[in-house]
Amino acid sequence: MSTPSAPPPCPHLAAHRLSSRPLRFLRRCLRVRPLGRPEIRRDPRELPRCSPCAAASPSQSPRLYACLSCAAVFCPSHAASHASASAGPGHQIAVDVDRAELFCAACGDQVYDPDFDHAVFLAQSSSLLPSTSSTSPSPAPRKRRRVDYRAWAPDPAEFALMSSADPTTSASAAAPAGLRGLNNLGNTCFMNSVLQALLHAPPLRNYFLGDRHNRFLCPRRTPVRHRATEADAAKVACLACDLDEIYSAAFSGERMPYSPAKFLYSWWQHASNLASYEQQDAHEFFISILDHIHENIKDDQHKSHAQGHGDCCIAHRVFSGILRSDVTCTSCGFTSTTFEPCMDISLDLDIGDNTPFGVANTKPHVRNGERGLAGMNSKVSTLMRCLERFTRAERLDAEQKFFCERCDERQESLKQMSIRRLPLVSCFHIKRFEHSAVKKVSRKVDHCLQFPFSLDMAPYLSSSILRSRYGNRIFPAEASDADAVSELSSEFEIFAVITHSGKLEAGHYVTYLRLNNHWYKCDDAWVTRVEEHTVRTSQAYMLFYVQKTLYYKACERAAAV
Amino acid sequence: MSSSNDAPLSPRSQLALRCFEELLDCAVADVASECHRIARLGLDRSVDAEEEELRVWAARAAAGGDHHHPGGFGVAEEGGAGPGGGSKGGVDVFGQTHPAIAADVIECMNCGRPVVAGRFAPHLEKCMGKGRKARAKNTRSSTAGRTRSSNGIAASSYSPYSNAANTNRVNVPNGVTDGGCGTGGDHSSHVL
Repeated sequence: MSTPSAPPPCPHLAAHRLSSRPLRFLRRCLRVRPLGRPEIRRDPRELPRCSPCAAASPSQSPRLYACLSCAAVFCPSHAASHASASAGPGHQIAVDVDRAELFCAACGDQVYDPDFDHAVFLAQSSSLLPSTSSTSPSPAPRKRRRVDYRAWAPDPAEFALMSSADPTTSASAAAPAGLRGLNNLGNTCFMNSVLQALLHAPPLRNYFLGDRHNRFLCPRRTPVRHRATEADAAKVACLACDLDEIYSAAFSGERMPYSPAKFLYSWWQHASNLASYEQQDAHEFFISILDHIHENIKDDQHKSHAQGHGDCCIAHRVFSGILRSDVTCTSCGFTSTTFEPCMDISLDLDIGDNTPFGVANTKPHVRNGERGLAGMNSKVSTLMRCLERFTRAERLDAEQKFFCERCDERQESLKQMSIRRLPLVSCFHIKRFEHSAVKKVSRKVDHCLQFPFSLDMAPYLSSSILRSRYGNRIFPAEASDADAVSELSSEFEIFAVITHSGKLEAGHYVTYLRLNNHWYKCDDAWVTRVEEHTVRTSQAYMLFYVQKTLYYKACERAAAV
Repeated sequence: MSSSNDAPLSPRSQLALRCFEELLDCAVADVASECHRIARLGLDRSVDAEEEELRVWAARAAAGGDHHHPGGFGVAEEGGAGPGGGSKGGVDVFGQTHPAIAADVIECMNCGRPVVAGRFAPHLEKCMGKGRKARAKNTRSSTAGRTRSSNGIAASSYSPYSNAANTNRVNVPNGVTDGGCGTGGDHSSHVL
């Protein structure tokens, strides 16, 4: 979804722009109420009426237009007559007094003008903003300097070296490089499934295969640094080193399944609260290891983790994005904005219907032109609908009244989330496990979820959400949310799906990987090739998308580590 | 909502009805105006794309359900439930088969003993002294014993072997979980 562009004006609008005062003069007539539509009123208490209608019958029409040339007010049925009957040209353009939309009476259609939209936007922003960041400072707008991509190919000598070392370099490999089963060490499918997804996350894979973290040279392995809690630590567990070892094993060309025992051992040394032989949650594991990798290899010079720039470690560089949260007072319209870094997005399953979508049914229940009225008519949840729900403005409970600085008291408020910055790899976690603390029960939601293979995140970005909040007005580029311009593309491609089958207490995780446009099922030690429909009809629990276009960022330091 | 044609409405009802109709018209006009703007300004691409995706998905899902995917290499049961999942009589993408419990032998990095891969986790749990079945009593007494002996008092008589084993028990107090984290872990530990 690109920024809104003004369609070419109809001839009447074009003529009006040339002959009349600029539309910006209407600005002084624009009245904006908090959370309301912008209105056109010459006088704040003015009650417009359609003169011809008032003469004929006392009833009021809900839509009224004011002619821009003579300020006469009329309803749609009298619009055409005003345009043609009035003396002199230029009475065709009118404005909807309740919605501040331009209307061409001659064409009988709503028309759009950038100058007018600009005026409306200014009126709205002066009354409804400023949005202040209360808890955390808004990230400073950083223009990333981009470096041009230079293609590289190995020369014959390098190619010979590569072929001798790794037989999978040649084209006749039975399966893509890096594909290798992982042995289940005893209820460790939660770990295997996440590891498979990480093994094939392009930025992470490139980092480790590019020797950016060499486990033989890692300073954290030396006995110099010790931890007080581990008395026998001659070696300190560095999860990044163990991950490096797994990458080496997976891409070694060996086909027998690999046992990630060392990784399990290291992880248990870090996450002692999760260290037990029993089934665990894959998402919890995912967050845990990213956290510990950060702890292991964070670059203390870069304190920018709090701002989500992701320069502190590879885990954040790959997975960290920034979420924007706006809380708006319903009484005065004051908005409080906060920014939070996030490693993934947890989505509620948007259950429209209670009846599950049966794949065995012959006819899919999709109707043309249906726009998902809160999922009422369709029986399937979709990822995009879940994201829409995530970024929807929600009214907070009466119990959770937000303290409005402007009103100086607690007021009911609206909360809306949006994505300020997209990570390189977007991980979506589908909340399938419901825990009710009240009822002391947990259950798994088996509802099927449709997800696209190509995903455009543009509608969920802060820039899009803000724009739609202000009525989708055509912004001039400078006036828009200045620090929300995303230089990176918002298009993503899926590469891994972690699915959960079975019950909450006894289930099984499996990862589907998309390599070279083929899908592979990684079920612990078993790696098999599957068709698309298997993936589409599986119960997605975690979805991994990678940005379609990656850019090189100019390195700020002379020696890049 | 339609008023009965028989009895004329009271003025109050007429007023209320007109109010309602006006509100309804207003709401409809609001939506129409917004959608008109979205369509005219070219902002509605995602709606079409989403519907198209849903159609494609439904079609492919229905088509796939009619026939099993071709055998070839890599025959596997879809949605294989049950832990340690594997195929029922088939080969993987490399033409290999694997037992239900991984037969690989690993050297435990905690105690050095060889362990079968498929049983590594339960072994490691006991070895490291974590999990529900951890036995905490030994470590406490041995730690106390060491401190006493370092003061020159020959208190506990333990062989060097058991000493080595005890020092391998790490982080005992916080290692015991209450088994609360099932497969569906709680979501409170991460941001958001």
